[in-house]
Amino acid sequence: MKKRVAIGFLGTTLDIGKQENRWERWRPTVALCMQPDLQVDRLDLIHDNHAIDLASRVSGDIVQVSPETRVVLHRLNLKDAWDFQEVYAALYDFAKAYSFDPDSEDYLVNITTGTHVAQICWFLLTEARYVPGRLIQLAPPRRGDTGVTGSHSIVDLDLSRYDRIASRFRKEAEEGASYLKSGIVTRNAAFNRMIDSIEKVAIRSKAPFLLTGPTGAGKSQLARRIYELKKARRQVAGPFVEVNCATLRGDQAMSALFGHIKGAFTGAQTDRPGLLRSAHGGVLFMDEIGELGPDEQAMILRAIEDKRFLPVGADKEAGSDFQLIAGTNRDLSEDVHKGKFREDLLARLNLWTFELPGLKSRGEDIEPNIDFELQRFSETEGEAMSFNKEARALYLAFAMSPEALWSANFRDLSASMTRLATLSPNGRINEETVREEIERLRRLWKGRADEDGVDATLREYLDGMALSRIDLFDRIQLVEVIRVCRAASSLSEAGRKLFSVSRLEKSSQNDADRLKKYLARFGMDWRRLREN
Amino acid sequence: MIIIDGSEGEGGGQVLRTALTLSMVTGKPFTIENIRARRSKPGLMRQHLACVKAAAAISGASHEGAVIGSGKLIFRPGALKAGNYRFDIGSAGSTTLVLQTIMLALAALDAPSTIVVTGGTHNMAAPCFDFLGESFLPIIRRMGFRIEAECLRRGFYPAGGGEIRMTIGPSEAHVSLVLDTAGRRLGQGAKAIVSHLPYDIARREAAAFADAMGWTAETCVAHSDAAAIGPGNVLTAHLECEHVTEIFTTFGRQGVSGDRIAQELAKEIKDHLSAGAPVGHYLADQLLLPMVLTKGGRFVTSRPSAHCSTNIEVIRSFLNTPIASTRLDDRRWMISVGEQG
Repeated sequence: MKKRVAIGFLGTTLDIGKQENRWERWRPTVALCMQPDLQVDRLDLIHDNHAIDLASRVSGDIVQVSPETRVVLHRLNLKDAWDFQEVYAALYDFAKAYSFDPDSEDYLVNITTGTHVAQICWFLLTEARYVPGRLIQLAPPRRGDTGVTGSHSIVDLDLSRYDRIASRFRKEAEEGASYLKSGIVTRNAAFNRMIDSIEKVAIRSKAPFLLTGPTGAGKSQLARRIYELKKARRQVAGPFVEVNCATLRGDQAMSALFGHIKGAFTGAQTDRPGLLRSAHGGVLFMDEIGELGPDEQAMILRAIEDKRFLPVGADKEAGSDFQLIAGTNRDLSEDVHKGKFREDLLARLNLWTFELPGLKSRGEDIEPNIDFELQRFSETEGEAMSFNKEARALYLAFAMSPEALWSANFRDLSASMTRLATLSPNGRINEETVREEIERLRRLWKGRADEDGVDATLREYLDGMALSRIDLFDRIQLVEVIRVCRAASSLSEAGRKLFSVSRLEKSSQNDADRLKKYLARFGMDWRRLREN
Repeated sequence: MIIIDGSEGEGGGQVLRTALTLSMVTGKPFTIENIRARRSKPGLMRQHLACVKAAAAISGASHEGAVIGSGKLIFRPGALKAGNYRFDIGSAGSTTLVLQTIMLALAALDAPSTIVVTGGTHNMAAPCFDFLGESFLPIIRRMGFRIEAECLRRGFYPAGGGEIRMTIGPSEAHVSLVLDTAGRRLGQGAKAIVSHLPYDIARREAAAFADAMGWTAETCVAHSDAAAIGPGNVLTAHLECEHVTEIFTTFGRQGVSGDRIAQELAKEIKDHLSAGAPVGHYLADQLLLPMVLTKGGRFVTSRPSAHCSTNIEVIRSFLNTPIASTRLDDRRWMISVGEQG
């Protein structure tokens, strides 16, 4: 049986009384030891120098009404018992110095006496487990009650101990998870587990998140949902700011992220706050973070660690407190290995890493996502949309077959559903429409595979960031230019071949120069082409 | 093992105390379950634990479940031991209830004992010392018990701090109790006592009570008790008859006038007198145990309370002594204990 130990302030208002008539009043500290259903084995009573007499009188009275109770007086002098900082510090020190032994003693912190500030401090210290106990609040006798004992209630701040509260938390967690999934009843167990973890982390942690996964897996969507969940739970008040790092280049990258001051460089006609400052108090989602240049990486690292950074052209640092969610479809540890990504930044981002699987590895989730897309279409278009039975079976069979690549994942599925719905004006998707759509998807994925071939050639010369800034139109052209250059023995020969028609009409026929300029537009030159 | 259902009937505390006494005297262990199960605060309270601990101290008992809020208690008595005992019970307990639990057990021994109990002696939730000393003990002394008690200092709720000293000698030959009538009225009177409160309160109460009862002012006295710890006020009346003395008590309460207190007590006495039964409710409850433990007997009381019936049930789980309750008329019952009753 554990010893019951109560800790509390002597009440310099409520516990007072010198005359015999003090017994006619409710004195919380005395009443604490008179509860018929609570035996206090030890009372640690805190008082200051002014209340020595009162403390000894109260402890004498307690011994009389409750011989089982041993009263231990603790002297604690506060300059101002209403000064939060002072009281908290004093009680924190008291708790630190107190040798708690929760295995053999059960602690109750009496919050009935002492200032409201003391009450708040006790609450905070107990909630933070600096005081490993529960709170006790005494209540005076009710009107019509005889006696001065009153009653007490014990408050355990460990919320998991309360069934009704715990079930609310469970429900809230389920709602949160469902919210993160946009209400889609996903069936993939691994995905659902991941969402449950994200729900837990999202509402508890302000540390950066890293979402990895292939393009179209829903990183951006999930980042926004995480933000909205945090906002609904009042974890953030600021905005959601989203940026694709692949679109940031050169000086503009620094300025876009960290802002600049007026006159920082030519064209900087006004101050610009930058995305980090815009995200203050909110969430900054940096997609494709692997595309960030080395200078930006260094600044971002400092911005995460110290919440401070230097805007372009400024001589004073600016601050912003935001939660970072980073997205990437690259293997950042490989980038670290190649020296393209800072190891310390990755270490910072890597605390909470969640890998979003592609749609193909979540076959069982295709159907609920189809229903979700149909419903979304119905809501925006105001028209009910559904498959007929055969059409649905046909589409699902294809969607879940190995042939369906879903290379852009949910983006593909969403686009496909939009097409199906748009092409079914009577609100019913039939087999014929589905067959046509399947053909369209096949062509799409084949084309994308060809496009991937184009990109494979270009990747020999350009990094992902540079590549993502070039239109497909130019990429296709560039691949052919490179092919010709590789086959030619000199720059001039390649130029002659590439400009064989237009050179006939021109006065100056400097094809080599024209080609050189073209290549330079993409950061390439003849020598590099020849070297590869 | 005797199993007692602590949720049955009235007075969970009384069930426990009766069982403790019987267990110690008979040597039979018992388990009490569902202790005070239907109360708003179920299970054992501090005042019950005080009785369990005192009983364990005099009988060398082992027990399980003697913690606050416990719904189940197992009590295995060892050998009773006469001696000098002291129990400090705060004001959450009651000195008279502890004495009531242990005195009959120590009285069963061949050697004398002394018990000193400190705490509350005058507490609304328990019989006050005057009942014990002036009503109950004189009757059981007639039955052969040698128990004397003295209130060395009154202890009013909430301060407590009173002290009672009880001496228990080996009993003489037991005699069965016969209490068919109260007999001739030998005396009557009342005492209004204040402690650390204005004397005037006691004076008014005494006067109002004399008035309400139509008793002479000389029989109703006021008294200020300076020795008692803490403030308190009690109005006690006694009806001393040939065969029984009954004690009636009311406590002064904040916000209730002395007149009201006097009226309450007067009503209680008039009700008792009009029933025409010599033994009141509370005394009836208390007499059962000394009777079943000795030669039995009979008494006439008003309609037995639920308390009394529950008490009889507990006694039956320990002893085979027949206990009969016979209705005599509208307001009087005869309780007889033992074969000869």
